[in-house]
Amino acid sequence: MAAPATSRVIAVELNGEQVELEVPARRLLVHFLRDDLGLTGTHIGCDTGNCGACTVHLNGEPVKSCMLLAVQADGARVTTVEGLAPDGELTPLQTSFNEHHALQCGYCTPGMLMSASALLERNPRPSEEDVRLALQGNICRCTGYVNIVEAVLATGGSR
Amino acid sequence: MLLREVEYARPATVEEAVSLLAGYDGARALAGGQTLLNVMKARAAAPDVLVDLADLDDLRTIGFTADGLLEVGAMVTYTQLVGSSEVEVARPILAEVAETIADVQVRNRGTVGGNVCVADPTNHLPPLLVALDARFTIRGQESERTVSADEFFLGVYLTAVGEGELLTKVAVPPSSGAGDGFSGLTVGKHGTYVANAAATVSDAGVRVVLGCVDAVPVRATALEERLAAGDLSEDAVRAAAEGLGETLDPPSDAHGSGEFRRHLAEVSAVRAVLQAASRRKG
Amino acid sequence: MTVTEQATTLKRGFVGQSMPRKEDRRLVQGQGTFFDDVRRHGMGYVHFVRSPYAHAKIVSIDVSRALELDGVYGTITGDEVAIQTDPFFEMSVEPGGLIKDYALAVGRVRHMGEPVAAVCAATRELARDAAELVEVSYDPLPVLVDAGEALKDEVVMHEDAGSNVVWSGVFEWGDVDQALAEADHVVKIERLHFHRFSSTPLECAGALVEYDRGTGEWTLHCNHQMPGVGAIWMAPALRVGIDKLRFVTQDIGGGFGNKICLHPQYVVLCLLARKLGRPVQWTEYRTDQHTANAHGNERTFLDVEVGVMADGTMTGFRVRALDDCGAFPRYEPLGCIIWAQVTPGMYGWRNIRVDFTQVCTNKSPVSPNRGYSRMQHLWLTERVVDIVASELGFDPVEIRKKNYVKAEQMPYETPNGCVYDSGDYAAALDLALELIDHGSIEERRRDAAARGRLLGLGIGSTLDSGTNNFGQSTLLNPDLQFSGNNEAASVKLDIFGEVVVTLGTVPQGQGHETTAAQVVADILGCSPEQVNVRRGHDTWFNSHAGFSGTYASQFAFTGLGAVKGAAELLRDEMVQLAAAVLQAPAEAIELADGMARIKDGPEEAALPFMALGAIVNANNAFLPPDFNPTLNHRYVCRPYFGMVDTEKKTGQLTLTYALQVHAAVVEVDPDTGEVEVVDYAAVDDCGVRINPLIVEGQVHGATAHALGAALSEEFVYDEEGTLLTSNFYDYHVPHALDMPPLKTGAMESPSPVAPLGAKGMGEGGGGGIHCICAAIQDALASAGKPIVSTSCNPPHRVWAMLRDPESSRANVSVASR
Repeated sequence: MAAPATSRVIAVELNGEQVELEVPARRLLVHFLRDDLGLTGTHIGCDTGNCGACTVHLNGEPVKSCMLLAVQADGARVTTVEGLAPDGELTPLQTSFNEHHALQCGYCTPGMLMSASALLERNPRPSEEDVRLALQGNICRCTGYVNIVEAVLATGGSR
Repeated sequence: MLLREVEYARPATVEEAVSLLAGYDGARALAGGQTLLNVMKARAAAPDVLVDLADLDDLRTIGFTADGLLEVGAMVTYTQLVGSSEVEVARPILAEVAETIADVQVRNRGTVGGNVCVADPTNHLPPLLVALDARFTIRGQESERTVSADEFFLGVYLTAVGEGELLTKVAVPPSSGAGDGFSGLTVGKHGTYVANAAATVSDAGVRVVLGCVDAVPVRATALEERLAAGDLSEDAVRAAAEGLGETLDPPSDAHGSGEFRRHLAEVSAVRAVLQAASRRKG
Repeated sequence: MTVTEQATTLKRGFVGQSMPRKEDRRLVQGQGTFFDDVRRHGMGYVHFVRSPYAHAKIVSIDVSRALELDGVYGTITGDEVAIQTDPFFEMSVEPGGLIKDYALAVGRVRHMGEPVAAVCAATRELARDAAELVEVSYDPLPVLVDAGEALKDEVVMHEDAGSNVVWSGVFEWGDVDQALAEADHVVKIERLHFHRFSSTPLECAGALVEYDRGTGEWTLHCNHQMPGVGAIWMAPALRVGIDKLRFVTQDIGGGFGNKICLHPQYVVLCLLARKLGRPVQWTEYRTDQHTANAHGNERTFLDVEVGVMADGTMTGFRVRALDDCGAFPRYEPLGCIIWAQVTPGMYGWRNIRVDFTQVCTNKSPVSPNRGYSRMQHLWLTERVVDIVASELGFDPVEIRKKNYVKAEQMPYETPNGCVYDSGDYAAALDLALELIDHGSIEERRRDAAARGRLLGLGIGSTLDSGTNNFGQSTLLNPDLQFSGNNEAASVKLDIFGEVVVTLGTVPQGQGHETTAAQVVADILGCSPEQVNVRRGHDTWFNSHAGFSGTYASQFAFTGLGAVKGAAELLRDEMVQLAAAVLQAPAEAIELADGMARIKDGPEEAALPFMALGAIVNANNAFLPPDFNPTLNHRYVCRPYFGMVDTEKKTGQLTLTYALQVHAAVVEVDPDTGEVEVVDYAAVDDCGVRINPLIVEGQVHGATAHALGAALSEEFVYDEEGTLLTSNFYDYHVPHALDMPPLKTGAMESPSPVAPLGAKGMGEGGGGGIHCICAAIQDALASAGKPIVSTSCNPPHRVWAMLRDPESSRANVSVASR
């Protein structure tokens, strides 16, 4: 029977590699990724789970890593932005972001890429409405979303 | 943003979960965490023990009871509701409303059980489930009981689920030709509700429930009575809703005064009823 | 979304091209380095203890329980700060100039969330836990949340100043009394209110600070967007020379002016790093940014009077402006003059009087927020034009065209001596109207009415003045020793032929690495890929000057001006060097394709850049003794403004004037007050566009900021000074579904005064706010003609106007001859 504990050894498949570490129960997944594992591509932009800068994939689904405890990811598969192009060869989506000027400061970008890539995996040819719905949980203060939406649509072949 | 120290357990069965909830003071169920984690970040509440329901597959099913009710497990996520063919066939309003909750990331984690047990007056599902006359199954260590929607919501953040208990299922009758409606004003698209109303029009009559205006969802009984005659034309519904706001004492905040919410409640009720009426079959 | 372009008038190779950005490669891989990504061995994490009261005396602070917690490295309180530092330099005259502003609250707290103490611990969580153990007791004082109340000085926030007034003065040009006396109509508006909001950059503020005991130097890995000024504040406070502060910025997640006044928190970090003998790091939380970092100026315009002739010519206006700068001025009172860069807005009236007062209140301190002070003033002029049009029965398009400064009048000197450099306002307006299909408005209005919706069209024309003359500060305080402006850059050719550029600016997403590379590539005759622009700002690059930073829409002028100057110096030297090596006259040498070669000469008569770099750095013996090329040049771009006249309060306050004209079509739900933007166009003219893609991106972003401010973003306080909108639930910013279809158009009126003909741009001037207010007023015209008198109109405010249009109309009166 699972007795409550203030920390737990968790096993996570992270960007394709097995990671095992003891973490305090109270540690947020985003801090585990950034501070314990040094994966600083996932960002923090708010403290109430609204902005989506911390978006990662949990078992293939986009989630906000600041709204999960690291211990909740025990046994799960996690993908971060670093896992999109591990060998440095940009994905079509990343290239499209560059071509369409879909980033300015770049802070929301990892989260946007994680939400957009999840969408494209499920729906390779999304409509503009599909794209906006998929990105609704990712705040950007620089671009007004205009070029981000264009970049995702172009990757899907709709532009 | 940073939580206080807490203990964490991940039971494998519902029995284990209930046992943990009953066995530890300050134990709280962790479902999707899309509200609880914010509460803990703000240190507005600090449970001593988190009982993670993630492994309780029994609570993730969507199906039908023996008497034909659509039964949704408490750990069913909003995304699951949206993608469920059972929901689409039996009571699509659930999916329609769930699809407007926040965003994809929240919907992938947030659960039906969490939404109702948090019982935040601005949450989407409480007024809707009251309108649909839902039933809530609550498991305790010794027993299991079913509670009606009218008895489930007791106050702000307060429901009939007591200490050491766990909500396991939420069941609603299938539409059977009933029309359902939901309307309100949010802070931005898919944002928090400022005021809302849910309505059902069926052979049994009209049910109208207001959210955001009180500690718990409010049945607009006077309006329901006036509509019992059966005339659901726009003029008739507007006339019947007149004065609805005056019976309410909603809160004031940055998004509107109590007076604005009284007005919005009336507008939302009318729109929800008209939407439900237009969807009614036969 | 469509783009209509006018031809780029100066096509010069890479300048003018919509090149994808060099910055992107690292950023799309999550390999950017933002300050919170930086780690140091043994570092401690800092959490601030903040005031829960908006106004209170601090009775006592007890840190002993915090210090007992395992893993806590130390603490610091206001008492220590008051001993170890001097108050920050204040820019105002008395009484405001007497305010004492320390890095932590000393004796009193003046806004909710004000830092009172700081705790440093081994982990973020421990620092947070320890902060809860610090015991502070307060004696609450009466709270001021209204500027009008503050003006009464019944409750005084800063005893040293003795008054809540930070600055007060009258600006007057022409003869407005005469103009009003002679006008056919005088339109009076009792009150217009520009609300409190900010740009809320997604990355919060913060720094990792290291102290070197050996040299007494601090290194701040941070996101301060104006380190030149940051150092000017911090060094005297810390009682050290400016060279003891090294600012290092790398990638920054947005600034928009909200990362200019970070010096109080940074000083705390410097003191802690020194006290504890370890690097210390602080990351601001979102709630803290909203509560206690920096808001935009809140400004109330009272007793506006406008003179209008029968034919619609507006002859002048006078107004009392009351500005609320929150608990501490800091960058203020500069906002009290900066609006004067655009005194007449886009209009030709010559008789203007502004009676300007700035006061403190118990709210978050302000800092320059995107559009800083000009946006508030331009909103005033646009509201005035629309209200005049509506009350006197003029068409909003025609009255604008009648009163706009005309293209043929450019360069145009305004009543207070600023010179609008170029621009065709009427043509920009026409383009905006074309983009939203102006001709179909009445038909769309009828269609909307049939669906029970009220449709309205609004125009918002605005200026983005850029390249500040800091001498304008002397119009507020003649004793200030500030004038002019500057920016620096260095360009070198390295030993293996790499061109390396370092900037003084501090980009937070504006693409400086790319645009600088474009400029350098054109000058040196290579490709932008060969130009390596170092990321960010580093004091040790020594490529900065006193005013270095990224702010005030000036990069295209001063930043690129500096890059151009340095690149030209380098080019000239490379040509001379090649001439010496190839034994040809300098005039015969050209730089092209990454080579220095004899024009139309044989193929062998060419030197790759690598050869030039190698000669100077490693193989220079054969060069004659009187020729000493360095291939490493630093250039300071110093725009020329002349002197300001402190008596007449005139002068060239900014050099360039980009313009934006926005047009919006909205549909209002009369039952809920909800406003939906159904069509939108933004036309921008910033002169030569170095990189049109980047320029357009800035227009998109400025529009989104303005739409958020116009429809939902507001910092709302209750009577106790509690901020009710401190997170993104309640302070709603536009998400992807909130944005309307956005059409953009561009024009290019090159600036005659800018080094590349490119005006600064980026802030935008709040055009979206002006046009949304106008559109709402137009939509509601058929519902009792309420007057829109506030800049933020969420549903509850629109509904109030619908319910009681008469109350809003009582604000306005017309006296006609």
